Amino acid sequence: MADANTQTDRQPHPLAGRRMTGAEMIVQVLAEEGTDTVFGYTGGAILPVFDAIFRYNAEREARRDKQMQLIIPANEQGAGFMAAGYARSSGKVGVFVVTSGPAATNSVTPIRDCMADSIPVVLICGQVARAAIGTDAFQEAPVFNLMSACAKHVFLVERPEELESVVRTAFEIARSGRPGPVVIDVPKDVQNWEGVFKGGGTVRFRGYETRMKRLASAKLSDAECAELLGMLRKSERPLVCAGGGVILGGGAPQLRRFAEAFGIPVVTTLMGIGAVDTTSDLSLQMLGMHGMAYANYAVTDCDFLLVAGARFDDRVAGKVQEFAPNARYIAHIDIDAAEIGKVKQVSWAHVGDAGDAFAELAARKEGFDKDFSPWLEHVRKLREKHARGYDRSSRAIQPQQVLECLNEVVKGAAAGKGDAIVATGVGQHQMWAAQYLDFKAPRLFLTSGSMGTMGFGLPAAIGAQAAFPDRLVIDVDGDGSMRMNIGELETATTYGLPVKVLLLNNHADGMVRQWQKLFFDNRFSGSDKTLRRKDFVKAAQADGFGFAERLEDQGRLREALERFIAFEGAAFLEVVIDPDAEVYPMVFPGASYKEMSTGDFIKGRSAEDYAQGPRRTDAF
Amino acid sequence: MASAIPFVEKTDPLESTRTLSILVENRFGVLSRIAGLFSARGYNIESLTVARTADSTLSRITMVVRCEPLLAQQILRQVEKLPNAVEAADLTDTNCVERELVLVRVHAKEGRRTSLLTEAEIFRARVVTATPENYVFEVTGDSGKIEAFLDVVRPYGIDEMVRTGQVALRRNLHSRFAPETVVEEDPVEASR
Repeated sequence: MADANTQTDRQPHPLAGRRMTGAEMIVQVLAEEGTDTVFGYTGGAILPVFDAIFRYNAEREARRDKQMQLIIPANEQGAGFMAAGYARSSGKVGVFVVTSGPAATNSVTPIRDCMADSIPVVLICGQVARAAIGTDAFQEAPVFNLMSACAKHVFLVERPEELESVVRTAFEIARSGRPGPVVIDVPKDVQNWEGVFKGGGTVRFRGYETRMKRLASAKLSDAECAELLGMLRKSERPLVCAGGGVILGGGAPQLRRFAEAFGIPVVTTLMGIGAVDTTSDLSLQMLGMHGMAYANYAVTDCDFLLVAGARFDDRVAGKVQEFAPNARYIAHIDIDAAEIGKVKQVSWAHVGDAGDAFAELAARKEGFDKDFSPWLEHVRKLREKHARGYDRSSRAIQPQQVLECLNEVVKGAAAGKGDAIVATGVGQHQMWAAQYLDFKAPRLFLTSGSMGTMGFGLPAAIGAQAAFPDRLVIDVDGDGSMRMNIGELETATTYGLPVKVLLLNNHADGMVRQWQKLFFDNRFSGSDKTLRRKDFVKAAQADGFGFAERLEDQGRLREALERFIAFEGAAFLEVVIDPDAEVYPMVFPGASYKEMSTGDFIKGRSAEDYAQGPRRTDAF
Repeated sequence: MASAIPFVEKTDPLESTRTLSILVENRFGVLSRIAGLFSARGYNIESLTVARTADSTLSRITMVVRCEPLLAQQILRQVEKLPNAVEAADLTDTNCVERELVLVRVHAKEGRRTSLLTEAEIFRARVVTATPENYVFEVTGDSGKIEAFLDVVRPYGIDEMVRTGQVALRRNLHSRFAPETVVEEDPVEASR
């Protein structure tokens, strides 16, 4: 695909015309795509590629040239989330390489996770030799079929002459349009095949290329801008809802300029956290099921809602018909045409890059003199009156308190080192991190949003640390999520990656426990972990963590966090938290924002807000 | 997929059969990927045909699916996200011609053969082959005609039959896929 960023448009490849093996071609194209780190796990059907990486690096070492860093996880799922963490934090395409069969099936989860959050990664899977495909050979799995249902695209390389262009094209597909994961299934005999390296060329996808060209030229027209600004002019209470798409497309600066120029407050989805500085005046932070009360009230009150790079997910919209019930106009900008009208019918839509659209709109500020300051004042009051809160009098350590304190400690520690990157697992701790930590820039909060994959946090943090060895990278995790990929603790120490693992241990799958309290009369089936005997601190020590401590005393919180963050290498801090701490606000599944419960520690709008109490529904 | 499922009358106005036409790169795996978009949502495909187009590097898939028009639109948009999909359209209620072919072996015992042939003539059904026991008819037409023909021959006794599933073609060129973007050289996998 013709893209200005690929080697194809530049000078002839220095290795063009050279004979080499398929495995060597794969490594050459990875290098050409700027891959500095490969995550992966070796095995029978991928041996030639691992050998080619070894030889590539040996050659570079002799020349004292930069090598392709190889990071080996404990489990292939870890490699996938590392590649995802690398991609989410850096914006570059993450790469992971695994063998056939079980390695490929272990990779299904991260591939689906990347698809659901639109993260660009390329997975290279070894496959049994072509002659053995379909014979139930050793370590054979139907990768093409399995991954077809999960990935943005899958290649099975049947013709070795195509291998080189397939690898190049995989990167192009992964990062273009709405980004996503691309899988390349490479039979072992194709890796061993010898041929001439062309040094350029891609596989053509005529429809896709046409659509990408159309997207690239999809500028907002004067008429479209006028129509949107006309709606805005007729509105008194406008609000922007920014999703992950704004971050993925690099549109955060344009969004900020737009919001500031017009004086419009911004809420973000979980994936959109950091699209605007969460500490800025215009930021109302996260909306949705566990969004800030004031963010959700603002959504309820607004009469104009501009949604960009977001898709009215059920965790955001709740009861769709009653989402933003007072909005006379809902506008939607997305790079994916299939998202327009998929969930919510809108009054104005644009398919294209959100950043470009915001820039076009901001350029038309002159002459638009509508003053939204009464609304901004209203929103400021909402933020004051319905501020986040938790049980500050409890003698048990509250998770929110830990994160508030972490926020303070990090502010001091991160000075001069760039903002801290935070990865999370999935569950209560994920929501608390989203609510209580500050994110001044995009790509700082790495979380499994759509798929909600427990075990994401630690490997994602490792991947981000590999991309940014000098930055502060923190994995805020829960005990349930930590267990899922605990093997990766050792990966962090093996590669000297100084990740900080903060484990909030409530001895439960806390989010499940919270739902069981609400909907299942306190029957904690399967979620109670109080009888588990895992000593996380010993586990971290055993895996080589130079700092591994457990904290149970509230009074030592600040001091412990300071030492934890200041520690030079990989550090592990387990904080034993109140098992009854809960995530609020909560919009119950399938309910509307009207029925949002703010819990015991956040001021709700009125008793009516949750007069009905939670209902047990089939919504999940 | 069940092409032998008898044609069902449209009952629910919201849920009708949609004729979808999808132009794709002629590569392996494309069909399963597209069919997967329907099966993942629990929708049965009523009929399905795939074959090369005038440009042998492209194939056209025609699908008949029972679903709401809006859902068909949504699935087509999902189809159009696939790199291998060139374009996709819902041809239902558009200016297009629709045809289906059926081969049906009908019991044709001595004494009933003439009346059977007379009735077949009404539908321009062609006898492809015959034995002393039966005739094999070939009928082409839209689904309504096929159904009507089958109703007529059913009393004679249908031994076995096969339907191709519906194909459809617009009467005029209506492509968002600009022809000039077709490259002269064959794509890498074209020769397959």
